[in-house]
Amino acid sequence: MSSSSNGNGTPILELSDVHTYYGSIHALKGISIEVHDGEIVTLLGANGAGKSTTLRSINGLNRPRQGKISFQGRDITTVAAHEIVKRGIAQSPEGRRLFPRMSVIENLEMGAFQRSDRSEIRGDMDRVFELFPRLHERRNQKAGTMSGGEQQMCAIGRALMARPKLLLLDEPSLGLAPIFVERIFDIIKQINDQGTSILLVEQNALMALDAADRGYVLETGRIVLADKAAALKTNEQVRKTYLGET
Amino acid sequence: MAADASVPTLANRLQRPSVVGLLGVVVVGGAAALLLKNLTVAPSRFFEVTLIGLTTGCVYALVALGYTLVYGILELINFAHGDVFMLGGMFTITYSTHFFGLHHGQGPATILIVFATLVLAMLSCGLINATIEFIAYRPLRGAPRLAPLITAIGVSFIIQDIGLAWKGPNYITAPDVFPHSRVFSFHGVDYGWNKLIVVVITIPVLLGLLWLVQQTRQGKAMRATAQDKDAAAIMGINVNRTISFTFLIAGALAGAAGLCYSLYVTTVRFDQGFQLGLIAFTAAVLGGIGNLPGAVLGAVLIGLIQTWNEGLPWHMPGSDWTQSIVFSILILILVFRPEGLLGERTPEGG
Repeated sequence: MSSSSNGNGTPILELSDVHTYYGSIHALKGISIEVHDGEIVTLLGANGAGKSTTLRSINGLNRPRQGKISFQGRDITTVAAHEIVKRGIAQSPEGRRLFPRMSVIENLEMGAFQRSDRSEIRGDMDRVFELFPRLHERRNQKAGTMSGGEQQMCAIGRALMARPKLLLLDEPSLGLAPIFVERIFDIIKQINDQGTSILLVEQNALMALDAADRGYVLETGRIVLADKAAALKTNEQVRKTYLGET
Repeated sequence: MAADASVPTLANRLQRPSVVGLLGVVVVGGAAALLLKNLTVAPSRFFEVTLIGLTTGCVYALVALGYTLVYGILELINFAHGDVFMLGGMFTITYSTHFFGLHHGQGPATILIVFATLVLAMLSCGLINATIEFIAYRPLRGAPRLAPLITAIGVSFIIQDIGLAWKGPNYITAPDVFPHSRVFSFHGVDYGWNKLIVVVITIPVLLGLLWLVQQTRQGKAMRATAQDKDAAAIMGINVNRTISFTFLIAGALAGAAGLCYSLYVTTVRFDQGFQLGLIAFTAAVLGGIGNLPGAVLGAVLIGLIQTWNEGLPWHMPGSDWTQSIVFSILILILVFRPEGLLGERTPEGG
């Protein structure tokens, strides 16, 4: 589906046997995932399967107790969350997590917080506004007062402002009108075409598998299936459980 | 997210015209009438007391801002803050008299010494406040909210004991270095240099703080951390360092307040921070806790209410009742307008 390469050479992101606890709950029970340069990889699974915890393990908010995460060949398992974004991983988190009392522009500026190339930040913001013209209209509005779709755009735009090599997207279509969902997925593909690898967590499995190169299926903290997206779409179990077919 | 309509705020409850609203009008109206009567009975006294109130309000503002900054970022009422202010007063006396040999009648050198003392007192209190956070609050970052609150009360007692051990149980006096001669006269009332100096120190500090929070990179990190710590972290903001910085700034403000207070009132005692801290905390709540301009507004109002009550001649309750009045205001605000005068009506308090 995507124009990008399909996993040659060493992966840009590699999780091996990662165990993460959420409080006292053993949320990830030894998962191993790879994302290669230029890929879109999707994580499927029911609520509570551990998708968001996987992302939180990668971005340093929820450190694994066991296992190893490496990014571009370097171990980032114990790197602090605020350092990870400097390595090139940005996230549009679950629930968007915008700064509600900051304007759209300020939120986008926060996305570029760790960058020092001030002169280029302005241009990147213009590109985000090109991608999401609606954000430009709302640029001076407080983020907390916008609609869900607008907030989602702002969250993705904010992540892009970090100029990430790997973009983590957590449920970008959650709570959006169908027309917005298609737009968001078009944009995800556009971002990917420009060379950003993407790890996508989605409850809309059909859209996710359409966009992705490969996918993993998570069940209660374990990976139960891993395959090319096209193969997953025709997999009996996936069709029953996640594509709603009988 | 931010302002869900489903959160039943008191504002909604107050929509219906109620006995409570009527009562509020009666209380505020009664107070206004009392002030007006005092104004007509003794106008010059009224203006004099009002000027003193504004000066006192400035000191409260510096302390209240510390409460509000820390609350904004950690949702913690740092009860030890008033005691850091008390230490600021003690540092002022130690630095100015023991280090710099400050005494009455040194002329222009006084200004230099006071400025150097100000810088040192702000630095000392800032570092102490950041250390308190590091030792006492940071290990409790994930704990239920009651834990750091009780810890803060504990730290408050510890600092008082340190003050007691350091300077003893009695009032210690600061040199009365500022001339009481008048800066200007208004309706036959003199405003002395010793009062003006408080305003002269407070205003630039307040403006500097607003600039810091609104315009600088560090200020943006503070605001982002206050609004969403996890989101701030994945933006590349070092959340712990930002919290330390916030405590540093809050402590420095308390140090500045300690200097103003000790040179203006000229006495300091180990337990005065607790009471003044509670008053400043009330001011922060009155203005809307977490809201910087609100803290200043609340502080000036509380300063005025206090001095009006204590200084006006015509049938005011008097200083015996100051505490009761101030804390009645706290209770009324918490019950009827918990978001404060300027606070936003959001679940997280603005």
